[in-house]
Formats: sequence, C-alpha cells, structure tokens
Amino acid sequence: MRIPRRSLIKLGVLAIAPLLLAGCSAAVGLDGPATTINPAGDQARRILDLMVPIFWMALVVFIVVEGILVYTVFRFRRKPNAPIPSQIQGNTQIEIAWTIAPALIAVVIAVLTFRTQADNAVLPPNAIHITAVGHQWWFEFQYPDGGPEGKPLLTASDMYIPVGKPVIITLKGQDVIHNFWVPKLAGKTYMIPGKTNYLSFTAEQAGIYHAVCSEFCGEAHALMRFRVIALPPDQYDRWLTQAQVAPANPPTGVGELNGDPTRGQAIFLDAKRQCITCHAISGTAAKGVVGPNLTYYGSRTTIAAGLLDNTPENLAKWLHNPSSLKPGNLMGRVITPDWVKQNLAEQDIADLVAYLRSMKLSVDMPVASK
Amino acid sequence: MAVVERPLGGVTVPKPPETNEYAGWESWLTTVDHKKIGIMYIVGAFVFFLIGGIEALLMRTQLGTPNNTFLTPDVYNQMMTMHGTTMVFLAIMPFNVGIANFVVPLMIGARDMAFPRLNALSIWLFFFGGLMLYFSFMAGGAPAVGWFAYAPLTMKQYSPTFGVDYWIIGLLLTGIASISGSLNFIVTILNMRAPGMTMNRMPLYVWMTLITSFILVFAFPSLTAGQIALLFDRHFDTRFFNPAQGGDAVLWMHLFWFFGHPEVYILILPTMGIVSEVLPTFSRKPIFGYAFVAYSGVAIGFLGFLVWAHHMFGVGLGPLANAFFSGASMLIAIPTGVKIFNWIATMYLGSISLKTPMYYAIGFVSMFIIGGISGITLASPPIDLQQTDSYYVVAHFHYVLFGGSIFGIFAGMHYWFPKITGRMYNETLGKIQFWLTFLSFNITFFPMHITGTNGMPRRIYTYEAGMGWDVYNLISTFGSFLMAFGILVLVWNAITSIRNGPPAPNDPWDGSSLEWSTPSPPPAHNFDTIPIVYSRRPLWDTKYPDLDAAFDIGTKAVSRREKIEQEKARMGELPTESHIHMPSPTYSPLIAAFGILVAGFGAIYISVPFAFIAGLIGLVILGVGIFGWVRDSRRDSPYLVSQH
Repeated sequence: MRIPRRSLIKLGVLAIAPLLLAGCSAAVGLDGPATTINPAGDQARRILDLMVPIFWMALVVFIVVEGILVYTVFRFRRKPNAPIPSQIQGNTQIEIAWTIAPALIAVVIAVLTFRTQADNAVLPPNAIHITAVGHQWWFEFQYPDGGPEGKPLLTASDMYIPVGKPVIITLKGQDVIHNFWVPKLAGKTYMIPGKTNYLSFTAEQAGIYHAVCSEFCGEAHALMRFRVIALPPDQYDRWLTQAQVAPANPPTGVGELNGDPTRGQAIFLDAKRQCITCHAISGTAAKGVVGPNLTYYGSRTTIAAGLLDNTPENLAKWLHNPSSLKPGNLMGRVITPDWVKQNLAEQDIADLVAYLRSMKLSVDMPVASK
Repeated sequence: MAVVERPLGGVTVPKPPETNEYAGWESWLTTVDHKKIGIMYIVGAFVFFLIGGIEALLMRTQLGTPNNTFLTPDVYNQMMTMHGTTMVFLAIMPFNVGIANFVVPLMIGARDMAFPRLNALSIWLFFFGGLMLYFSFMAGGAPAVGWFAYAPLTMKQYSPTFGVDYWIIGLLLTGIASISGSLNFIVTILNMRAPGMTMNRMPLYVWMTLITSFILVFAFPSLTAGQIALLFDRHFDTRFFNPAQGGDAVLWMHLFWFFGHPEVYILILPTMGIVSEVLPTFSRKPIFGYAFVAYSGVAIGFLGFLVWAHHMFGVGLGPLANAFFSGASMLIAIPTGVKIFNWIATMYLGSISLKTPMYYAIGFVSMFIIGGISGITLASPPIDLQQTDSYYVVAHFHYVLFGGSIFGIFAGMHYWFPKITGRMYNETLGKIQFWLTFLSFNITFFPMHITGTNGMPRRIYTYEAGMGWDVYNLISTFGSFLMAFGILVLVWNAITSIRNGPPAPNDPWDGSSLEWSTPSPPPAHNFDTIPIVYSRRPLWDTKYPDLDAAFDIGTKAVSRREKIEQEKARMGELPTESHIHMPSPTYSPLIAAFGILVAGFGAIYISVPFAFIAGLIGLVILGVGIFGWVRDSRRDSPYLVSQH
C-alpha cells in the first residue's frame, strides 16, 4: 500500500506537535526561582518524587494512545471506490480489557498518592511554630517564641526559618481568602478567614525563596508576594535573638538620601503624619496594627510585599505614592500625592527612609535563589 | 452516494398548512420551532464566544511581557471574570444547547421539542441573562471576583460595585433557561422518540444530551441556592458566607463546586456525543461498543457528583476527605479511557474520509487525551497542591474545554452546517481553519504547562521578569492572536457559505441517523412521515439493505434486510401518528422572559430605595406573558390525518 506523503506529514503533526513542544520544554530551563521541580524542602521533594513516576507513566500512555490514533487515521484512510468496510460494532472481551487497563493504572497512582499524602500530612512534635496571616495584599508572620516586650515577635513579607528543622505554619486569613505557596518548599494551603490551617515542611537548603499568594484575593492579588529566608540554624538563632530585642535609637548624623534618621523617627511617631495609625515599631510609641509591623525594616529584602527591592530610592518612591506601585492598597487611600504634598516635604521623606532603613539586623543572608 | 431504496416506513401524513401569522424578523421573535430556536442559540453563543475571545486577547496582550501596564489590575480582573463566565455560561453551554435543539428532535424522529413555548422562554432568558451580565460594564463595572466568586471577596465590603449582583442575577436568568431547557430535553427524549427507537437505538448524541440534561438539573440548583444566599449576604447582611459575621467561606466553595465540577461534564459530554456521531459517519462503520460508550457517559455523570472537592484540596478538609475525593476523581479516568479506546476502535478497520468535521473530531480525541492525562496529577492531592491555581491548571482545562468542547462543537457545526443552513461550507477554508486553530491552540496553551510548573500563579494581571515565565508567556500571546485569526477564517467561511455556498443535499456525509433523511434545511414539521426505526442506524438500513447488519467480532453477520424482517416481526404493530400537531408562533414566552429581566433588575438594586417597583413591574409583565401563554395553546389547531 502506498502512503501519500503529504497526508503523513499532516497527520503526524496532528499528534506529534504537542510532543515536540514537550521535548523542547525539557531542554529549556524549568529552573526558575519559583519552580516546582527543583525543590529545596522535604514536602516539595516528596511531591516531585511522586510526580516523576506518574509523569513517565503518563508519557507512555500518551505516546501509545496518540500513536495508535495517528496510525489508525493514517492507515485506514478511504481509497477511491473503496467498499464499505466490515460493519463491526464491538466485542465484549476487548471492551472489558480496556476498561480494566486504565483502572489498573489508576490504582497504582492512587496507592502512590495516598502514601505521599500521609507523609506530607504529618505535623512533627518538635517543630518550630510560626503563624502566617494573609492580608490584602501582604503576609504577616508571628513567632510565638516571644518578641520585644514579651509579645509575639511580629514581622511581615520575610519569613525566617532554620534549615533542617521542621516548621509548622499556622495559616489564618484576615480579610478574604488567600493562599500560601512557596513552590520550592511546599504545596499550597489556603488561608481562610474563620478557619485555621496547618502546613509543615523542612527547608533542606539555605536560601531566599520566592513565595506568593496563589488564590485570587482582589485588585492587587498579583502583587501579593513574600520571601522565605531559610538560614543555617546558628544564623537563625542569631536572627531570632536580635529580632527579640527592640531596635536601638536611630543613629545620629546623615543617613541614606541625606536623611536624618533621628528626625525621621520623630516624623514617623508624629500622629499627624499618619504612620502610626497603621504601623508599629517595637520599642517606640508606634502601635498600629492595620498595616505590617515595620520593626527592623532595614533588613527586609523587599518593599511592598515582595514587589520591589528594598533600596532607599524604591522606598522613597513608595512613600510618595503607594497606589502608583500597588493599585488598591490600603495605605494609598490615605497617602495620596495630594496628601503627601501637604504633609510631607521632600526632606521629611528622606528622613523617613533614613530612619526605617537604619533599623538593621546583623545576619549572614543566604544567596537569593535564581 | 447510495440511492434510498424505499422510504423509511410509517404512515404518510398530509403536510400542515404553512403559518403566515408572522413574517420576517417577527417570525424569529415569535418562533417556537426547535430549529429556529437552535439557530438563535448557536448564533448567540457564537457572538458571546467572540466577545469572550476578545477578553482573552486583552488579557494575553497584558501578559505578553512582564510588568506590562496595558490593562489596569481592576480591568484585567474584570476581563478574567467575564472571560470565564462568558465561555462557560454564554458560549459553550448555549452552543451545545443550540446544536441539541436543532438536532435532537430530528434524530429521534420528533416534530418539535416536548414544550416548544418553554423552549422559546429558554432562549430569551439566555439572551437577556447574557446581556444583563454585560450591562454591568455600563453600570459601574463588571464583576472582578473570578468566575468562581469565592466569598468573602464577593461581600459588599470588598466588591462595592454592583458587578457581583449583575453576575448573580444574570446567571440566575441563564440558569432558569438551562434548567427548563434540560427538563425539556429529558421529556422530549424520553417520550417523543419515533416508533421503534428504543433507548438502546438512540443515537449516542441523544444519549449524551439526555445525560447532560440530568446532570444539569441536579447540579444547577446548588449554584442557584448559593447565589441567592450571596445576594442576601450582600444586601440584607445575612450571614451565610461572611466569616467576619460568623458565616462560612468554605460553604460557598462546596456549593459552587458541587455545581462547578458537574458543569465540566455539562460542557464536555454533549461534544463527546458529537464526536460519537462524526467518527462513525466518516469511517463508514457503526460506533464500536455502543453500550460501553453510552453507559460510560452515565458513569461519568454519576461520578461527576462525587469529585467536587478535588477543587478544594488546599482548603484543609483533612487527608481522609482529600483521599476520598482523589480516589473518586481517578475513577473517572476509567469511563473516559473507555470512550477514547472505543472512538479509536471505531475508526480502526474503517474507511476514513477526512472532511473538516472529521478533522475536528480527531483533533478532539487527540487533545482530549492530553487534557485527560494532565488531569491525572490534579486528582492526586499532593501534586495538585503544587499545580492547582497555577498556569498548569489553565493549560489543563483549556485542553479539555477548548481542545475538547470547542473542537467538538466545531466538528458538530461543520457536520450539521449543511442540514442547518441548506448550504455546503467551503471545505478548503474549513481545513485551513482547522490547522490554524489546532496549531495556534497548542502554541497558546501548551507553554502554560511549563509556566505553571515554573511556579506562575493563575489570575495575576502581571508578573516580574526573570522567573522563567517571560518567553513562554510571549509564545502564548502570539498563539492567541493566531487563534483569533483562525476564528476569523471560520466566520468568513460561515458567512460566505450561507450566502453563496452550493445547496446541500439531504445526506451529504452518507449518514445513518434520521436527520439526514429530511431535506436540508428541514421543513417546519421536520418529517412528512414519522419514520419507523428497526435498528441503531435507520437511514443506513434503507440505503444499504443488502449489506451486513452491524455485528460483534466473533458472531455471524446477517444482512440488514433479513434483520429488519426479524425486527418487524418482533416489534409487532406500532402506534402511528393520527395528526400533525404544530404549536403556533407566539410572543408570550418573550414577554414572560422580559418580565423576568425587569424583575431581575429590581433584584440587583434591591437595597436601593424604590427599586422594588421595577421588581413589581417585572412580575406584572411576567404575569401578562403567562396569561397569554396559557391562551396560546387554544390557537393550536391539530391538523388531522385524513384516513387513507
């Protein structure tokens, strides 16, 4: 039988095009900062260990079934003046056979699945407890181990954990539903107002890991990000010890952007400037609870919940007009450009930047994952 | 082309006189003819499909490059919500309903749907519901909460515009249309089949429509109840879903997904039915394993109600609940696998004619395999927790809903185009459009598997550079514009073919089901003679009486002529039609639907002073419509058969 080449190519493309694309994807890097297939935590690794065999099974099924499909379409094309084919309508044995075949594959996948599920559901007794709270649109982290003034240690946008020790994250939602996802460390878990969820994992490598809210939570959902900073145990202890103490008085003299940190603190604490309405800094009179706690802001890796690098310029930009960087955010409703014009001189903003960025912890930070 | 040897049997009934009560555009507004209503559904669905596609293009433009500012986040979120809502409720569902409306009565040898006026009410409510939803753009902004509308983001505090209220009431209107339409299909299919057409002789498309209708009737009330509770939460401070007031946000998820997962089967099962018609016709063979294909559809329908929480693995229902829903989800692989194997077996040893409908049907099978396989990992809770809410899921369900449902719908639209319009479409353009759509579809959606695996979350209006997402997003955006071009070819082909296409014969594809025994397009009363059915392929019987009847491997084949004689003897005397009863055209369903629309506006603005007056006016109009409706049936004059 002669095969028309043109139809061969056409039909080949029909099922092989996606396959080729799949091959290309393997060649092209899947190694982004938020990839799910280069894990750095035990939970994500167990998930990958489950996914790999299923992927190969799926690939075999894909090749076999699409192969038979393409072969069939191609082999049984109508020839001119072809007779009407034999009117076969079924066979019970064959039907039963290919009912059982997918059932067997499903059973294998189910058994593997349930095993991993059981492993990933364990909450180890010796774990470090951290509470994560989702807000529109930033993450708050609470360390019950105790912060300054005997209260829980509060921070935001950077979650510090030790490498090699299990952590249990207690997940809560403050306003709407959010979702806690650190792709390189663990799968997603919802943060639901009115409900408490738990997630446990162990970081296996030191690093700064990209993390996001992965449930649609309103206007700036796309900009609700955070970082998980996994430190070697000694560095983690160093961080915790330092973070438990309130920041020292701001240094005297000229700071970043030619700002005066001492004056910056005074502006920050001035009720008319509105900062303390929402923000708190330990050891000061700032006790606002609506926005993120800004203690040791100088050590934050990012500004505006993972949106920008923490540089003096970015912080100044944020203080000038928060809404232009993160539409819809609560701070921008008060701190509008007009309000800034009336209440904050350029020098005031420089002083604020100098003050906020002067509060630093001394920790050896790991290299950010790239 | 085989010559029809003899008519399909049955008693010849004189044709009813043509009604000239309404002409021109009025004939469309007043029609109760299932074929005209089907055409209106298809055209309406296609328009919404184009609108949803434009929304998708806007989103893809925004996502083409990182940190893009083409759309503001609020507009993007509205597009995202409206794209999902439109494609599900206003495009794919009415596409399927429209095709079924046109084809099912013809396939089962009926003269119309069981409730023609209810059918007209359904089409108008679908139109009004869709228009109402889109009116929200002019009334303060469309909903921006996602098509799944999770509470408490939908509360007034977080979504202060009326967008969510338009979403609730607009979908409520289409929901009434869907539920009444489904009841109509169920009654029609169960009661109005031609003599001899037992359940086991129904075309598989009719089977799938029947199953879909049952799924819809059981699934939709869950959404409707949830939406009414949500409306009350927003306007009367009831406390169903708002945790700040003691409500339960997870309750909404359960109500939504108890509807939402069966909805997937509402979208895909009818197109599986289309494929089960197209593949045998163009292979010149009966479907392989008719009973397995039909009952696997039933199995999917049942299992579809046991898997909703696989959309909620991350919610914290507990490992045991997750394991149950995981196992149930994996079970669905079995009936879907069976269907795919049977489709391939239908083509195997066949004589395959590669016309455009066949291209789309094969495209359906090949793409649905990918969508099915990528769904396996989503049924496994641990893997799901990495893949859910990422672009991997976007890829997965577009392989099911575009590579599956839309390809199946395109197969059906080309397959029945000659029957519906009376014209042939242009085969070359059809094939060009297929390849454009097929390739661009894969270019658009395949890279999303990669971006998702690389950690890109869904529903984000922008993303930062350097995450390993940039190139793939650009490829997806390129693909989406190529796809839009393919759709333009389809529109061009449809318009030029309807105007200038060659006239279609009754039976252009050498089909086997009853719709091909009628003229193209069929007359208002469908059949001059209600046929008598002796097998699963009544038309094929009359065309090829001396060929073997369909037989199982390993059994002895008998000729059709012989088989039909056996069946005739077995079936005995069948009831025959005594008259053709055609319902008369009427404005009443349109008036009733308009009343519901007006009342709906009253409901949207229920917390605004005096808005209740709109509600009252709407109810009065509805009353007028129903009053006219009740009197309409008196105008139907049964056209009696003269004794022969």
